[in-house]
Amino acid sequence: MTTETDAPQHYGRVLIVWVVVLVALYAFQEYFSS
Amino acid sequence: MHPIDWTIIAVYLTWIVWDGLRLTKRSHELEGYFLASRSLPWWAVGLSVMATQLSAITMIGTTGQGYADGMRFLQFYYALPLAMIVLSVTLVPFFRNARVYTAYEYLEQRFDAKTRAFTSLLFLFSRSMSLGVVISAPAVVLAVVLDVSVTNTALLIALPTAVYTMFGGMQAVTWTDVKQVVLIVFGLLAAIVVLVLGLPEEVSVPQALRIAGATGRLQTFDFSFDLTNQYTFWSGTIAAFFLFCSYFGTDQSQVQRYLGAKSVAAARSSLMMSAYWKIPLQALVLLVGVFMFLFYLFTPAPMLFNAVHDREMREGPRAAEYGALEGRFVAANQARRAAGLALAEADAGGDATGRAAAGGEFTSREADVRAIRGEALSLVREATGDQSFNDVNYVFPTFILTHMPVGLIGLLIAAIFAAAMSTISAEMASLSTATVIDFYRRYARKEAPDRHYLWISRLATGFWGLFASGVAIWASELGSLIEVVNRFGSFFYGSILGVFILAVGFRQATANGAFVGLLAGMGAVAWAASFTDVAFLWHNVIGAVVVVVVGLLVSAIEGPRSEAPGAI
Repeated sequence: MTTETDAPQHYGRVLIVWVVVLVALYAFQEYFSS
Repeated sequence: MHPIDWTIIAVYLTWIVWDGLRLTKRSHELEGYFLASRSLPWWAVGLSVMATQLSAITMIGTTGQGYADGMRFLQFYYALPLAMIVLSVTLVPFFRNARVYTAYEYLEQRFDAKTRAFTSLLFLFSRSMSLGVVISAPAVVLAVVLDVSVTNTALLIALPTAVYTMFGGMQAVTWTDVKQVVLIVFGLLAAIVVLVLGLPEEVSVPQALRIAGATGRLQTFDFSFDLTNQYTFWSGTIAAFFLFCSYFGTDQSQVQRYLGAKSVAAARSSLMMSAYWKIPLQALVLLVGVFMFLFYLFTPAPMLFNAVHDREMREGPRAAEYGALEGRFVAANQARRAAGLALAEADAGGDATGRAAAGGEFTSREADVRAIRGEALSLVREATGDQSFNDVNYVFPTFILTHMPVGLIGLLIAAIFAAAMSTISAEMASLSTATVIDFYRRYARKEAPDRHYLWISRLATGFWGLFASGVAIWASELGSLIEVVNRFGSFFYGSILGVFILAVGFRQATANGAFVGLLAGMGAVAWAASFTDVAFLWHNVIGAVVVVVVGLLVSAIEGPRSEAPGAI
């Protein structure tokens, strides 16, 4: 997932993965807590 | 513990010291010793940074927190990826281009010597104290579970680490960290497997997770805005953002890592590794705790996980009271187990009404068990006079020793040692760097051959190792292990971040402005900590904001600055 790169799109990818992880955690919480 | 497990621990300790010492030959000059000659690949730096954060407190305290409280602590890390991006864009290139050894050295280039000396001194104070806590936390717990003295376990953690750090420098710290993080993650995964296999046959993993969910242990989002609550979405994204910027951007124990990377791109990529993996890794640690809760739901659990206190209570003057409480605890546990099985069965049946009723029954039985355990803890506090007693830190080690198979016990205990050592090696190295570069070479002896500084650095590393071992024994008197470390730092972290924000973000900021701002920020945090209930994470925000505002005001009063090397 991580490679050595200096490109700005690298940060965009981190942000996308960050949002996906948070959404997955929220779904996990809701699915098992309902 | 079986001789095979003792052998595994002994082999690990011997191997890691040998492995670190092997790298001594690459540390014959100062840049090699402190910064690995700025030659490390990004992935090694990235793993090393993650290993440093995966302390034994994480292994012991965070798993215990997952057991008792669930996964809400995860929110603490939500801002970490954002902080990594901001630091990669801002501070990382400044430090790299300034060719400094310490973050504080850059402050002298930008401001003046007193700002550098003061921030470095604050780092030395807070980091040496927290180093003691980081050794003490596992030392206290391992002493109880292995039935040896705290002094022995503290020295067993600190001395081997001090030896390979003293001689191998940053090369040894980084490459041993890489191996240690692999051992830690393997240990955690092995624990999850054993825990899942320990669930009753009639309870599937999704059903078990629904039981944990019914108790609120899978809550990973709390959107309430409460400044007194440490673990909410807002404190995790706003307040913790300041903490992570400060920790990764201004704390020498972290900055020194990416200063050792071979390029700016490698330094950035090493931070991106934490951005990608820190939240999943922390979720794994907390899940171990949640699965321990599920495991002990269906397997008889001790009322107290701290075996020493348990024995003291059984043999002490309040043994009868304790025995009666234990009788109630066993009965409540059995009732909870039955309610848990009924909930799993209702879940499998798919009947929503039946499931709701079973869920209600289970949470009532869970509350009974919790209340009785609370009474037991209060009884211990009264009997021993130890008001901060809380045995959540003993849950994971007790599980390891009583339910893991032979071989894996040794491996898991070695993983706890590895977690402690990977954290303290980096901290010892950074304390030594700040001592030698910011003080000895700056004030005591400005010109000397590298060989001289190298030996002073090794002595400084050894000194900090011994100092921290002493603090470790004192720190064992302190309470909650996880928060103590963060508390030490939070008194200064935000304020130091404020100084760096002034340095790189405001061309008009002056040296006096930064220094007065720093004092004002620390004063504001001290006031907030003493006279308000604001949770300590928010102290980072208060400190940083006050430093920037006061710093800019003083700078404006002083007049425009003629030049600002290094500012954006």
